[in-house]
Amino acid sequence: MESTATPSSSPTRRGRDIPASPVWWQRLLGENGIQKWVFFIPIVFFVLFFAAPVVLTIVFSFFERTQFWMEPGFTLFAYENFFTSARAENYVFSMLHSAAAVVVSFVLGFPIAVFVRRRVAKAAQHRVILLFILPFMISELVRVFAMRPVLGRNGVVNNFLIDIGIINEPITIILFSPLGVIIGDVMSFLPFMIFAGFLALEAVQNYIFEVCDDLGAGPARLFGDIIVPLAAPGIFAGSVFIFVNSMGVALVPTLLGGPGAVNAGLIANQAIVALDFPLAMAISTIMILTLVLLLYVGHRLFDLTKVLEPIS
Amino acid sequence: MNQLQWTRRAFMYTTSGIAAAAAMGRIPGASAQDAKALKIWANPGVHRVGARDWSAMAGQAGVEIAATAKSARADESIQKMVVGDGNKLFDAVTDNGGGMEDALASQGAIVPLDTSQIPNWKNILPVYNEGGLAAHTIRFEGKVYSTPMISNADSMAYDFKALGFHPDSWGVMFDSQFKGRVALQNDFGPTLTNMAIYLKESGKIDIENPSDMKPDEVKAVCQFLIEWKKKGQFRTFWDGFQNGANLLISGEVLMSSCWEPIQLVADRETGDEADIRYGTMKEGHQTWNNMIMLTKGGRERGMDALYYKLANVYLSPWFGSRTLAGLGFAPQMTGVDEYLKANAADFPEGTEARVLDILTRKNARFGVKGNSWQNVFPTNIRAYQDWWARLQAA
Repeated sequence: MESTATPSSSPTRRGRDIPASPVWWQRLLGENGIQKWVFFIPIVFFVLFFAAPVVLTIVFSFFERTQFWMEPGFTLFAYENFFTSARAENYVFSMLHSAAAVVVSFVLGFPIAVFVRRRVAKAAQHRVILLFILPFMISELVRVFAMRPVLGRNGVVNNFLIDIGIINEPITIILFSPLGVIIGDVMSFLPFMIFAGFLALEAVQNYIFEVCDDLGAGPARLFGDIIVPLAAPGIFAGSVFIFVNSMGVALVPTLLGGPGAVNAGLIANQAIVALDFPLAMAISTIMILTLVLLLYVGHRLFDLTKVLEPIS
Repeated sequence: MNQLQWTRRAFMYTTSGIAAAAAMGRIPGASAQDAKALKIWANPGVHRVGARDWSAMAGQAGVEIAATAKSARADESIQKMVVGDGNKLFDAVTDNGGGMEDALASQGAIVPLDTSQIPNWKNILPVYNEGGLAAHTIRFEGKVYSTPMISNADSMAYDFKALGFHPDSWGVMFDSQFKGRVALQNDFGPTLTNMAIYLKESGKIDIENPSDMKPDEVKAVCQFLIEWKKKGQFRTFWDGFQNGANLLISGEVLMSSCWEPIQLVADRETGDEADIRYGTMKEGHQTWNNMIMLTKGGRERGMDALYYKLANVYLSPWFGSRTLAGLGFAPQMTGVDEYLKANAADFPEGTEARVLDILTRKNARFGVKGNSWQNVFPTNIRAYQDWWARLQAA
């Protein structure tokens, strides 16, 4: 029987060194240790913090409401209550206001993205885009609340318009109204359109613009026939961010909306305050379904997997 | 692994975990100091006076207080105390009377009190005595479960300088000359109750109990509000203290149903530009209180004596005069006016006259016959919710 190793020399096989057996920490960090499992961390994270809450939300929406909580059961009462009360109407209004915020954000934000992509020096583009993050450094509560002295009856806009003689009486429709909510949503979420639009345009090669210029395409044609179609997946992604936030962030209608203004998030919140947990869960489920439907339609139209793919 | 190894390892894990958690934040009961402290879950902005922290309250009570901040949301209280770990964490908890004591007592989250352990109980306002108007707001099935701390009769704040008169009826909110200059609180509880009081007392709608309306009555009140909303009478419905105050400070509205502290802040902030007052409405007001309760967990940990000491402070003129002077809330005990006169030097100059004026007007509001006490959980709460949604959608 051959000896496999001697204490005084390294083990060899056919004249080459055989590495020593890995110590415990090498095994732990090796391919069969943590490395083997590390890729499961995102899955665990996804299941714990996304899939499980979503599933629970859907399950709870079918529970029975008790006086202070809910108990297991299967009832469609929360959904019936949602669709047969004014909540469904409020929900639709919320969708319409959110859609309007998306359109306005596109009109204001996308040209900024195009400008930065086409007119700002390549080296400075990312820095300029990063400037649009600055508003997010301020609490959203402060940002939204700060709109009130601007849009209010005695606010900056009204005082300016009165001072230059355009109006005699303050315009009240720009605050505490659906328009006020749309303005607030646009001011809050406009950067999403700029970021997403810019990222989508980054994938468009420069020579495409150069060819268009060489062929004499005017700015309108370039924008409508080339830029928008090529950036469509990015525009859609930005639109989804804005739409979802406008639907869900309760702060804007609370601070800038008219009497009883709500969005979908606020409807769910009010159900929770009234201890109607199944109803709050049902509203949240409907919001999730709305978003899934929206993403499905977007994917069918624009193939969202290509958002950041270079376009040649 | 033998038993000794397991025990050592488990000990190390456990103690290091506790040490880390205690170093990072606070686990009630994690230190010897906390073990002696009364752990309370309370709204710091409303339920303490005398200092920017709980030291003055603790000093008066002779009790160490470990406080955790709490909002006024009923869902938060119920979730924590009935479904969650509130009883493990807190010895005492504050909340709205007229509903929350019933909810928490019926679920076994709080325990009945021995009021003989609270010396100042003898000074409690007569409305809390057996048979009094507010007796039910601190009792469940005939037993006292809570100590009232503050109360008020919510009314309407208005800019006297702009109006030129003192409104004495909720009806002024529905005067078309003030179209678009009126705000209401964005909460179906106080708003529908106050409007029900107005509609009942002015003979416009038959309502049996404004605090606990039947579905038809809720519908009638909401339809009335919907009609005025469609006419553009309301500028907005406010949520949150700063939001409510800002509406009056900015001159956006001339009148708003709101909490009294909002009026005090708005009046102070506007200075000479406006004169924001708090009215007494002849039809009545929703009256409400906040109370402090001893949790079941607190009793199990033997914290009764500490709770009673703190409750005694809440029923002392020391607390009553300060909450009245600072936030305009009504003291829950008699003798505050005498205390203020005797201790005028403890307050900034002019406080005595100002506070006594607030107290006089407050007593006038509390004396209105049509007042109705807050009901956190009306019998037909679903009707309240559903009709409120319709008002929002209108």
